[in-house]
Formats: sequence, C-alpha cells, structure tokens
Amino acid sequence: MAKFLIYRVLQAIFVVFVVTLTVSFAIRLTGDPALMLSQGAGSITEADLERIREALGLNRPFLVQYWEFISGLFVGDFGRSFMGGTPVINLIERALPATLMLAIVSLVVSIAVSIPLGIKAATARGTWIDQAIRIFSLIGLSFPNFWLAIMLVLLFSITFRLLPPSGMEGPVSFIMPAATMAIILTATNVRLVRTTMLETLRSQYVMVARAKGLSETTVLYKHALRNCAIPLITYFGLQFGGLLGGIVVIERVFNWPGLGTLAFQAVAARDYPVLQAVITVLSLLIIAINLLVDIAYGLVDPRIRTE
Amino acid sequence: MTLKKTLAAALLAASVLSAPAHAAGALTISSPQDPGNWDPIDTFLVNWASVATNIFDGLTYRGPDLELVPGLATEWEELDEGTRIRFTLREGVTFHNGEPFNAEAVRYTFERLLGEEGASGPQQSNYTAIEEVEVIDDYTVDFHLSEPDPVLLTKLAGYGAMIVPPQYIEENGEDHFDMNPVGTGPFKFVSYQERESIELEAFEDHWDGAPELDTVTYRFITEPSTAVAELQAGRVDIVIPPTIPVGMISTIEEQEDLSIVSVASPTVQALRFNTANGITENEDVRKAIIMAIDRQAIIDTILQGEAEPITSFQGPLSFGNDPEMEPIPYDPEAAKALLQEAGVEPGATVQIDVRGNDATFGEVAQAVAAYLSVIGINATVQPYETNVLLNDIIPEGRTGEMFQQAWGGWTFDFDNTAYLMYHTGERWNPYDSDAELDALLEEQRSITDRAERERLLKEIARYTADRALEVPLYNVNALYGVNDRVQNFEAAPDSRLRLTDVTVEE
Repeated sequence: MAKFLIYRVLQAIFVVFVVTLTVSFAIRLTGDPALMLSQGAGSITEADLERIREALGLNRPFLVQYWEFISGLFVGDFGRSFMGGTPVINLIERALPATLMLAIVSLVVSIAVSIPLGIKAATARGTWIDQAIRIFSLIGLSFPNFWLAIMLVLLFSITFRLLPPSGMEGPVSFIMPAATMAIILTATNVRLVRTTMLETLRSQYVMVARAKGLSETTVLYKHALRNCAIPLITYFGLQFGGLLGGIVVIERVFNWPGLGTLAFQAVAARDYPVLQAVITVLSLLIIAINLLVDIAYGLVDPRIRTE
Repeated sequence: MTLKKTLAAALLAASVLSAPAHAAGALTISSPQDPGNWDPIDTFLVNWASVATNIFDGLTYRGPDLELVPGLATEWEELDEGTRIRFTLREGVTFHNGEPFNAEAVRYTFERLLGEEGASGPQQSNYTAIEEVEVIDDYTVDFHLSEPDPVLLTKLAGYGAMIVPPQYIEENGEDHFDMNPVGTGPFKFVSYQERESIELEAFEDHWDGAPELDTVTYRFITEPSTAVAELQAGRVDIVIPPTIPVGMISTIEEQEDLSIVSVASPTVQALRFNTANGITENEDVRKAIIMAIDRQAIIDTILQGEAEPITSFQGPLSFGNDPEMEPIPYDPEAAKALLQEAGVEPGATVQIDVRGNDATFGEVAQAVAAYLSVIGINATVQPYETNVLLNDIIPEGRTGEMFQQAWGGWTFDFDNTAYLMYHTGERWNPYDSDAELDALLEEQRSITDRAERERLLKEIARYTADRALEVPLYNVNALYGVNDRVQNFEAAPDSRLRLTDVTVEE
C-alpha cells in the first residue's frame, strides 16, 4: 500500500507539472491583457501598452514567468490578479469553498436519491416502476444543464418568485443550482446503480443468503449493496471530478461566487494569474479525489486492504 | 407525505428569505464587471466609472447632458495661450474621512497620476500634457501644460483625474486605498466583496447636497440572462450597460413594472476598408459598397431601432460631428453602375472580418454580405476571437477587404477616433497614408479655440467620407433595464451614472 501511494503521489506531481505548463503556455496565446485593461481609454499607444506589460511582468521570457508561478505554488503564493492587483490566493480562498459546497451538496443529494431508486428499479425489474424510473432517467440525461438551470430560474424566481435567481445568500441559494446538477447526475447514477445491482443479485452469494432465509432487506442492503460499493465508489469519485468541470457553466448561470465564475471572469479579462491558479487548484482537487478513491477501496473491501 | 410537507415548508421559508429587499432608500444595481480596484489611476474600465463616479469628484463635472460644469473647481481661466490653466477651488469641501479638500490635494492627485504610481496604470498617457501643478494658495492652482490640450477640461471630469485624499493614502498605503476608496463624492464606500458586490452609503456632507438614497449596492453579474432574471424577480433595480443585448429588450418590456431606457452611447460601429489590397483599393468600389448597404433597414430589424445611422466614424453626440453632412444614399442600381465603371466583374470577392463574440454584429455582417451579393460581390464573413482581431489581425494589416471596428471614447471628441484611425503610422491605421489628412489631424490638436477646432474636425469627417475610408454604420444605444420604482433616473451616455437625485418608491 505504501509503495502504491508513493507511486501515485509521484504520478500526481507529474500531472500537475504538465497541466500548469500547458495552461501557462496556452493562456499566453489568447491575447494581450494590457489592451483589456485599457479598453475605456481609446487613445492608447504602443508605448502605453508596453509600460503596462512591464508593470504586469509580461515582457519577461515565458520560462521566467512560468518559474515564478511554479515556485510561488510551494509557498501558497499565486501572484496578483491583473484585474486590480488583489492577491490571487484571497480570491481562491473564497471561491474554493463555494464551489466545493455546491459540488458536495449536489453529489450527496444525487447519491441519496439514486441508490434507493436504482435498487427499486433492479428489484422490480421489468415492472412499470422499473420502466418509469428508466424513462425519467432518460429525460434527465437529455437536458443540457444550462437549459435546465434557466427553466428553473424562469419558474421559481420569475414566475413564482420563491427562490433567488442568483448569488450565494444562504441555504436557499443552494436549491436551484444543486437541483440542476443533482437532476442530471441522478439520471446517470440511477442507471448505474440499477445495472450494478442486477449483476450482484445474479451472483451465488445472494442466492446463498436468500437460501439461508434472510429477509429481503438484509439481503439487499447488507449483502448486495456492500458488493456494489466498489464500482459505485469509483464512479462517484470520478464523477465528482467531472462535476467540478461542469459546475463552471452552472456557476455562471447562477452567478455563484465559486471557481467557475472566477475562471470565467479571468478568461474574459485575460487575467493570467487567476486563471492559472483556478486550473491548478481544480487539477490538484481532481488528482486528490482519485487518490482518495483508491484509498476508499481498501476501506470497503477487506481483500484490497490486506494485499 | 412527509417529503411533500418538508418541501412545502422549505419553499415557504425560501419565499420569505428571497422576498425582494425593498428597504427605504436602498437601490441595487447590476454591473457586468468588477474592475477589482477602485483607485482612479489603476484601471480604465467603463464599469469602474459607473460606480466610482459616485465616490469621487473631479475639478470639472460632466453629467448626462454632456455639458461641462464646475465640480471641485468653481471656475477656471486659460492663460499663456492655453499653456496654463488657473483653477479656483471650492471651499469647505471635505473627503469622506474628514480630510479637507484644498490645493495640496489637487497637486498630490496629479503628481501621483503623472509619477511612478501612475506609470504602471493605463491612465497616465491621457494626461501627459500636464507638466506641473503649482499651488498658488490654499484654493488656487495653476496647471502648467507642455502644449495646449483641447480635451483636457473634459478629461478632468472623469477617470484618472478624480481627486484623491493625500493624508489617507499616505497613512494607509496604496494597497489599502485600492480596496477602500475615499473621495469627496456624494456616496461613501462601505464594503467591497471582490467579484461579488460593492456597497456605498450617502455622504451627508457632500458639497452639492446629500443624495436622496441611503444606500447603493452594485452586484457584479456577468451573464446577461442572469442579470435580467434578477431584474425580473425584483431583486435588482437597474441593469447598467453593457449588459442587455437587443434580443432581450422584449423580455424586459413585456413585464409591466420594468422598462428599457436607452441613450446614445459613445460607441459607433463601422466596417473599415483595406485600402491597400483587393478590390477595395479602388475608391469607387468602396463607394459602391457603401451605396449597396441599406443601413436603416439593418437598424430597424436587427437592432430593433436601438441605434442611429452615422455619416462619419462618430455619433451625433461627438464633438466634431456635422449634422449637415449627408450620408451616401442607399442605391444598389447606382452601386452596380459604379462597379462596372471601375471594372469589377460580377463574382468578385471580399472578406469581412468581425469579432466572434458579438452575436448582434454577426447578424449585421451577414446582412451586409447579403446586400453585397445583390450588386454581384461575394462576401464571406470571417469571425475572429476579439483579442486576436484587435491584437494581431488589424494592427498587423492582415485583415480581409473589410473589417469591423467598434470605437468611441468617453470624452465624445472626434479627435479620439480620427487621429488613431487615420493618422499615418497609428496602430489602428495599418493601410492608409494621406499627407493632407495627417496635416489636418495635427493642426486640430494644437489649437484650443473650440469653434475653430470643431470646424477642422468637421472638415476631417468630410474628407474621410469623400475618400470612403469606411462604411459608417451606426451609433449604438446604451441600454438600461430599470424597475419602475426607480424615480428621477436619467440614463448617462457614458455609463457614468451619478445617483444623487435618484429615489426609490416603496
């Protein structure tokens, strides 16, 4: 296990290196931040632009700028935003919890709904209940997330005026963005739980458990669900990573003060330090989650623990 | 059953919590961009000004009517043939922190702007004509200029020339001032949450009288549909430009308690010509292209009437615009004849370069291409990422035969457009070089006599129209979405919305 962990950590470091290098390089191809900063000026000359570039440190060689970024990472210094000069770390400190909270709430809601529904669909296979769950899941899968978000806003914020259309102003603000993501996640998760459960129910130990005369609830939740756990944990873990990417769109629609909104504004303003930081943080998160998923295997499956 | 009950309870609770916060005298505004810094000399963003025009004052003041009136200076006098301006300052004015406003604050403001601190920002270059600010006495200053700057008095009404408090900055440092601005304006700063909101409250001791409102909150909402949803839900009172696209006008107007208020903005759109390559090298071909396009139809349909046709590269509010000037009329038959004379065969091609993120202009460009096909020119529309177009394609002279240029400065002075677009060697003039035009452009910069300068700027406008250097399209309106409970609201053409007189109904 220790050897495995060391290997995975080294792998993670390499991935972070490649991601940061790619991002730093690619963003510098997108255009000149100096021009963005002076958009209201009109009468900007080449000399002015050069002066601003110098102040931002953009006239130095790419590798120097990249090294500054990387070495700053180790001490938690992401530099300063081009838009106003705030330390980027302050922006991340506020945006990261907002994004994580939203992602966790969405995933937890989705798991809490899809496990019972998936099991129900598996045990009632072929009945109208199974059909209904599958049809709803297909409908959920067919919604583009931003469309669903806009429909929810139209209905609950504008027509009924029940929920705030945007911002993060307390628990109420979570309802629509989390529901949007949970609906789409649940659509896939129900199908996954159903399939995994069906396979498990066909196995011999379930037959044995039933033959012993155990109640159906014990068979399902104690024996079968435990054995479904590995593929499901893997999937939910990876899904969390994907979720962090998908959240960018949802955050924009709901003006959620998270990493997605931050990244979006940074792209629009060519704010290199902020964008670099957001992408680095996101990639670190995804790598960490993958690592946690591996460790979680050991916790749920004694066979892996002892190997 | 219990789930249903919980859900109902949650929704009920939610409805209480999300009820529009119509507190007495509180106004909420949606702004599309957080400048990230409130120091007047660190940014040059329109949405800095739309907030900060309430926090700071300049020596001069220019409101929605674009007339220049006294601000922190009560009067001024031009001396030494325009190279020295003497300002008499308003007495008894204090900054929000209690610090007095005087000649020393003016000197400090401009030394800071023109010195090291200003050098790292985009504002300095606008004020380089100022050589020195000399304190004559506590309430008199002399601006010594290296050369006359005819637009200086206007430029003193906004952006980098806003007067800042010397003691406050020296005691708290630049970084603190960036995030906690203090000025002499009608509203004082309360709190700022980066990328989310900034809150201001009335400054009771403002020299021009206390504002009617108690508090103003600006929320930064980038996505237009989200800003409009907040307006529809009654949680935002005003959505300021540039946010609302023409496509959303009907959504807002359909709701009974909301209105669209529009006003001519500084921005004009033109399709400029590549005068060095392709069929547009020929002046007659350029004129034929202009004749082929029915701009009024484009304005009435695609822009839903929210624009004015223009005759040169400036709007009707611009200093230097000549209302007498006649546009080249829409006449596809004459255009065909002109093309034939110029020896252009049917099937000739042009490429129109546009900004890819501008959906409305994309439609306009398609309409232009359709009009050109009527006179036998095959036009293709080439969208570029905006920054690529502005950084690499136009300045490098790599455009097609025609390219989109949106322009206009908050000063509403044609010099700001004409010099940069037409003078030889300028960044935005990659193709043309005209000695006669250069001479006119240089001449108008050296004189401060307004009438003479206006005559010259009009002459420049006429000259460029005669040479058909661009298809002058239209001056777009700035669109404000406003809740009807907002009273005494006057839309500002330059987005610098001062809220002193605004009230809200309960």
